[in-house]
Amino acid sequence: MFRWHSLRRTASVARRSRRMPTLVPLLLAVLALAAVAGSGAAAPAGAAEGQATWAVHVTLAPTWFDPAETSGIITPFMVLYALHDALIKPMPGNPMTPSLAESWSATKDGLSYEFQLRKGVKFHNGEPVTAEDVKYSFERYRGASAALLKGKVARVEVLDPLRVRFVLKAPWPDFMTFYATPATGAAWIVPKKYVEQVGEDGFKKAPVGAGPYRFVAFKPGVELTVEAFDGYWRKAPAVKTLVFRVIPDESTRLAALRRGEVDVAYSITGPLAEEVKRTANLRLVPTYFTFTTWLLFTEQWDPKSPWHDKRVRLAANLAIDRAGINGAVYLGLSKLAYSFIPQGMEYFWTPPPYPYDVKRARALMADAGYPNGFDAGDLTGDTIYGVAIGEPVANYLQQVGIRLRLRPMERAAFFQEYGDKKLRGVIFSGSGAPGNAPTRLEQYAVTGGRYVYGTYPEVDGLYGEQAKEMNPRVRQQILHKMQQVIHEQVMFGPVIEPAFLNGVGPRLEVHGLGMIANHAYSGPYEDLRLNKR
Amino acid sequence: MKRFIVKRLGYALVSLALLSLTIFLFVRLTGDPAVLLVEPGASKADLEAIRSQLGLDRPIWVQYGSFVSSLVRGDFGQSFYYRTPVLELYLSRLPNSLLLAGAAMAFSLVIGIPTGIIAAVRVNQWWDSAGKIFALLGLSLPSFWVGLVMILFFSVYLGWLPSSGSGTVLHLVMPAFALGWYFAAAHMRLTRSSMLEVLGSEYVKLARIKGLPEALVIGKHAFKNALIPVLTLAGINLVIMVNVAVVVETVFAWPGIGRLLYEGISFRDFPVVQATVLLGGAMIVFVNLLVDVLYAVIDPRIRYDR
Repeated sequence: MFRWHSLRRTASVARRSRRMPTLVPLLLAVLALAAVAGSGAAAPAGAAEGQATWAVHVTLAPTWFDPAETSGIITPFMVLYALHDALIKPMPGNPMTPSLAESWSATKDGLSYEFQLRKGVKFHNGEPVTAEDVKYSFERYRGASAALLKGKVARVEVLDPLRVRFVLKAPWPDFMTFYATPATGAAWIVPKKYVEQVGEDGFKKAPVGAGPYRFVAFKPGVELTVEAFDGYWRKAPAVKTLVFRVIPDESTRLAALRRGEVDVAYSITGPLAEEVKRTANLRLVPTYFTFTTWLLFTEQWDPKSPWHDKRVRLAANLAIDRAGINGAVYLGLSKLAYSFIPQGMEYFWTPPPYPYDVKRARALMADAGYPNGFDAGDLTGDTIYGVAIGEPVANYLQQVGIRLRLRPMERAAFFQEYGDKKLRGVIFSGSGAPGNAPTRLEQYAVTGGRYVYGTYPEVDGLYGEQAKEMNPRVRQQILHKMQQVIHEQVMFGPVIEPAFLNGVGPRLEVHGLGMIANHAYSGPYEDLRLNKR
Repeated sequence: MKRFIVKRLGYALVSLALLSLTIFLFVRLTGDPAVLLVEPGASKADLEAIRSQLGLDRPIWVQYGSFVSSLVRGDFGQSFYYRTPVLELYLSRLPNSLLLAGAAMAFSLVIGIPTGIIAAVRVNQWWDSAGKIFALLGLSLPSFWVGLVMILFFSVYLGWLPSSGSGTVLHLVMPAFALGWYFAAAHMRLTRSSMLEVLGSEYVKLARIKGLPEALVIGKHAFKNALIPVLTLAGINLVIMVNVAVVVETVFAWPGIGRLLYEGISFRDFPVVQATVLLGGAMIVFVNLLVDVLYAVIDPRIRYDR
């Protein structure tokens, strides 16, 4: 239709041109433009078009529109990547990509970090992004690890409108991990003047950022609509409108995807994932973030418990068919885990895999004095992963004589009791908290950690050593050694790094899933492209 | 009569006061909301910071006092999850719930009442058996299953209706049916039994002896009298539909109060749960009060204060 009108208009213009020769150059230009429009060629840069819609599995919260409220879960970044931008953030191929800051440097003593901001970058309301906004955003940040981060930073100095310096109280090797990764939202910049003008609540109702998409509308519990911001510094987005629609039921998400009402359906599991795989035009795309699952043998430090014997813990590890669980529960798309630290985390050490070897496991049990096995009490986990993965794990352990009773608990209650050290027997644990290997070690393997039921002196010693080490190479060696000790002690029974499975429809040529490492959702949004057909 | 109304109003206020205390305490038994707002593995400091932000680090009686004093001012607090005033959230969802409940109620009455009348008039015949099967299915098939089957059939295979969401009449069709079927079955059964009772009464027999046409006997003499209990039940059911259509609203991603309550419970969003339960309770108390007053107006024997 558009082509036909274009051609007719063009012909009419051409007829008139014979009567008005002075307008020839102008008409030629019009003809050229019409030809381009009619040919269906790619739109020129900056001319975003079309709409892409996501079926989101969780209820969108306005707190996710405000980087200051980032609460230590990966989900808000689904929205932050659209509305806002950070000084440094994970992008395809680089977990610390200079974004609003074009470069940064650290002093040799590790006491100060300086960021050089990009010139000419503007917020959606036209105000420039300045060092003052960076300082304000940091000071305003009150989300996950805010106390830790602010406790380490002595002051933030604005050197000039495009230069800002963070001065630390003492050298802290993890400053960039906490400042410039999803471990916090402190490096995501908000416009100081605008926030002060509209207030905290006003900002959540009408957020203004420096991201590739600007806020259009939010209906709580229904959907969020954002529109391409042509002035985005990296590139103008190609898709004009993005809609994030909340569809809590998994089957309904799939139905919406099959009908073409949405282009991406997040979190499709089990038989429904198989259906996506079978359906022509749909794709099943796994993504991974820093989430992994493992067993904690809580009684290994009790000399009276069978778990005290390392051979029993090793037998348990050899009795689990991780590939079998992966195939049955995740269509083979998850990653097998041999460490309680996810493979994508900084300072991860690759341990030798535990083979599925029931014969050897039984022999180890007999050597340890349990040829007929033993009653191992409860296998406690949450009602999601603790059942989906915990149940097959309990069955595998049963075949070597480790008899466990599956005890699923409501998620929050489970983590409460886990943290309060009230659980006994074996715990089916899991974590998706962002950070790096030391942050994971601190929470789960080092004395004083919230989920630590016991540890080994060498682990504690090495942890203290690495915390003071500013040389990344030396620090890596210490952290690798630490993980090696944990592996040798068979402290945990790693099981699987569950994949986050998503359905993708035919309209999106570039869907963005899996492009950013350790990010479960689509991104970067400015890179998305719709199919031309 | 005036004294009767004042007394009933007093009972209603006491009921709501007790409900506010009960829901305030019960919702806190579900556990700590801070744990659900962070990723497993969050530090103790982060959890404490969240508790402090939400005001949960204060003693429980201080929290209740603050809740009641805000309530008196018409302030239901701020949602932990949405960080917006709960009343604003509730009012934004209320029109959707009223629309869905209205459509489902209309459907349930349009289907339930005629089938109930036919089943009563043709008692123990083919129509009656069909009606019983309809009622049995309506009451026993879970609405989530009905909803999912409808989505599969009408959205995915036939492509006639949108699978979820709101905004157009087409969006309303499936959720209204899924929600209304259960109530249609209930209304059908009550209409049938009520009609059977009335059809066996002396005045209906007299009307028939007088030779009135059967349609007039059923339509004018029997149906009008049989309708009273059905409409009373429909009134209460309408309030239930508005407030607790959780499953249907979740399956169809319908942004109503039922889903708000579900979200509130899922996230341990205490202010949201408190407000939805309290406002839902207020609706039920109000409808009951209205019914009591209407009964008292209709039947002087009920005005027992005399």
